[in-house]
Amino acid sequence: MSTDVQDSGITAQPKASAKKGQSSGLDLAIRYGFLALLVGLAIFFSIFANGFAGPRSAVFIFQSVAMTGILALGVTCTLVVGGFDLSIGSVATSAMMLAAYVMVVMEQPAAVAVVACLFMGAFIGLVNGILIVRFKVPDLLATLGMMFLLVGLQRIPTAGRSISTGMVLPDGTTANGTFDPLFLAMGRHRFDFFLEKLLPIPVVFLIVIAILIWIFLETTRHGRLMYAIGSNERAAALTGTNVKRYKVTAYMISGVLASIAGMLLAARLGRGDIASGTNLLLDAVAASLIGFAVLGAAKPNAFGTAMGALFVGILLQGLTMMNAPYYTQDFIKGAVLVIALVFTFSLSARKTAGH
Amino acid sequence: MKILRRSVLGLFASVAVGAATIGTGFAQSMPAPLDNPGDVKIALVRYLSTGDFFQAYLSGVEKQAEAIGLDLRIFDSRQDAALQADMVDQAIALGVDGIIIQHGLTESMQEAAQRAVDAGIKVVAFDVNVENDAIPQIEQSDYLLGKLALEQAIKDNGTEWNAGYVYVPGIAPLDRRHVAWEEVKAANPGIVERAQMGTLDNPIANSNANQARSVLQANQDITVFFAPYDEFAKGVKIAVDEAGLTSDVSIYSADVSTADISAMREPDSAWKATVATNPAVVGEVSVRALAIMLTGENPGAQVVVPPTLITQAFLNENDIKNMSDLSANMPQFAHADVAMTEWMPLPAR
Repeated sequence: MSTDVQDSGITAQPKASAKKGQSSGLDLAIRYGFLALLVGLAIFFSIFANGFAGPRSAVFIFQSVAMTGILALGVTCTLVVGGFDLSIGSVATSAMMLAAYVMVVMEQPAAVAVVACLFMGAFIGLVNGILIVRFKVPDLLATLGMMFLLVGLQRIPTAGRSISTGMVLPDGTTANGTFDPLFLAMGRHRFDFFLEKLLPIPVVFLIVIAILIWIFLETTRHGRLMYAIGSNERAAALTGTNVKRYKVTAYMISGVLASIAGMLLAARLGRGDIASGTNLLLDAVAASLIGFAVLGAAKPNAFGTAMGALFVGILLQGLTMMNAPYYTQDFIKGAVLVIALVFTFSLSARKTAGH
Repeated sequence: MKILRRSVLGLFASVAVGAATIGTGFAQSMPAPLDNPGDVKIALVRYLSTGDFFQAYLSGVEKQAEAIGLDLRIFDSRQDAALQADMVDQAIALGVDGIIIQHGLTESMQEAAQRAVDAGIKVVAFDVNVENDAIPQIEQSDYLLGKLALEQAIKDNGTEWNAGYVYVPGIAPLDRRHVAWEEVKAANPGIVERAQMGTLDNPIANSNANQARSVLQANQDITVFFAPYDEFAKGVKIAVDEAGLTSDVSIYSADVSTADISAMREPDSAWKATVATNPAVVGEVSVRALAIMLTGENPGAQVVVPPTLITQAFLNENDIKNMSDLSANMPQFAHADVAMTEWMPLPAR
C-alpha cells in the first residue's frame, strides 16, 4: 500500500514540476484574486470618489451591508448542509413587523419584542426543517412556500398597513405605543471607537455573528459534520451522524439570524414597514455565492460570505458617491456575481483537474 | 372628531350602517342605474397595492362605493402587468358595469381597456394613461405636488442652495414630479443639483438611506434634499440623522402617511415639508367619476385632485399625530370638491 503511493508519487513528479509555474499562478489567482479585487476597488474609489476614504465611509459601508450580511450568513449555514433557504428575506420583514406590532400595538418593552422575534425566527426555521427532513419537501420548495406564507402573514394583523405610532388599527382604535428607545438603540446607537460615535451597533452585530458562525462551521465538530452532510448526506448518515437534526439546526440558525436582521432593520427605520424582503433575499444569496470564490474555497463559508457582502457594499456605496445611476448598480451586482461564479466553478475545477 | 369617528367605524361598522342608512337613504334621489343599490357591479383592477398609499386609496374606493351602493369587486395583480390585463378580461366576463384601472403600464392596459369599452363597460383610469378618449383620467397632480414642495423649499432657503435629488426615471408619477424640479432648476441658477440618487429596492427607505449616506459623505455642502416620494424622504432622513446633519439639511418631499407625520414631528426633524393628496380622497373621486359615467354623464377627460402643502410647523402647531388629525385640521385634505353632483352621496364622516 505504502509503496503504491510512493510509486505513483515518483511517476507523477516530473509532470507536476513541469506545470508548477503555471499552476501556482492559477492557484494564487484562485486563492487571492477576489481579495485583491476587493483591495483594488477600495483603492480605486479612494482616489476617484470624493469622500470615500476615511473611517466614517468605512463604517457606513459596513452598516449598509450589515443586514444583508447577517442574512447571508444564515443562508451560508443552510448551503453548508446542502440546502437553501429562500424564506430569509420574508422572515426578516416579518420580524420587523412583529417587533413593531409588539411595541406599538401591544405596548410591550423592547425585551419582549426581541424575545418574540428570536422565537419566531427559530420557530420558522424549525418548521422549514421539519418540512424538509420529515415531510421530504425539497428545500427550495419548502422555503419558497414559507416565503409566500410569511409575506401574507405579516400583513394580516394590520390589514396590510405599515405599523407606526398613531396608526389606525383595522378595528378602528389608534395605536399609542412607541418604539422602545432601547430597541431603537439597536439600530442607531454608535459606540465611540477611535472617533466619537463611530461604530453603529448593527456593524458590531455583523462582525460578532460572522466570527461566531465562522468558529462554529470551521472549528467545531458540529460544523465539520454539517459540511460532511452537505458533501455526501448518505455517507454522513452511515457514519452515525444525525443528519436530520443537523439539517433542522441549520434552518433554525438561518431563521434566527434572519429575525435578528429584521430587528435591526426595524430599529433603523423606526417603524414596521410592509415589505416583501425579496431584495434582501437576493442580495444575501448573492453575497454567499460570491463567498464561494473567496480564498478559492469553492464551497459555502462564513469568511467568504462576509467578504462577499462587503464587496457588494463597497461597490454600491462607491458608485453612489460617483453619482452612478441606480440601474448600473444591479448590473454591477450581477457582473460581480457572474465573475465570482466563474472563479469558483471554472477555475477551481481546472485546478482539481490539473492535480 | 367627526373624521376620527369615520375611521373608527372603519370597514366593519360602516359596511352595515352605511349600506343600510346612507345607501338606501340617497338611493331614491340617485339617477338610474344607481337607484337600485347592489344592482350595479364595479371592479377595481389594481397594479400597485403594497404600501400605505395604496391601502388608503383602496379604503377610499371601498367607502365611496358603499356610500353609493355599488357592488365592488377587487382585482389585485400585484405589479404583474400581463395579469392586470387578464383581470380586465375577467371583470368583463363577470359582467361588471364599470371598471377602475388603478396604475399599470400603458402598453399592457391600452388594449384591455379598449376591450372593456367595446363591451359597453364604463372605465376610468387612475394614474395610468390608456390613450383612450372614452376613458377619463383620474390624477393627483404630480406636477403640482413637486411644484408646491419646491416653492416651500425656496421660501425657507432662498434661491441659492446645493441640492441632493432623489429620482427613479420611468415611474410615471415621479417623471411628472421631475418636470417641476427641472423647471425650478432652470428658473433659479443658484440652485445646484450636486447629486442624484434613488432606488426602488425593497425596503425602499432602507435602500435609499444607504445611498443618501454616501451622497452626503461625498457632497458635504448639500443643504436641501428634494425627495419627491415619502419613502425616499424617509430614507434620506435616516441618512441625515446618521450623519449627524439633522440641523444642516432640509428635506422636502411629496405624499404623507401617519408614519411620515411622526417622522416630520421628531424634535429638530430635517423633514420640513411635504405636499400630498389624500389617497383616500383620490379613491373616492375615482368611484364618483365612474358613478357619474354610469348615469350617462361625463365627468370630463381629466379629473385632477388638487394637492395640499403640509409643513412641519403646521403639524406642530396643531399637534397633528396621524392622518385622521390631519383630515380634521385640513378640510381641503379630507375632501376634494371634484367629480361631484347634486345627488352624489358622500361616505359617512
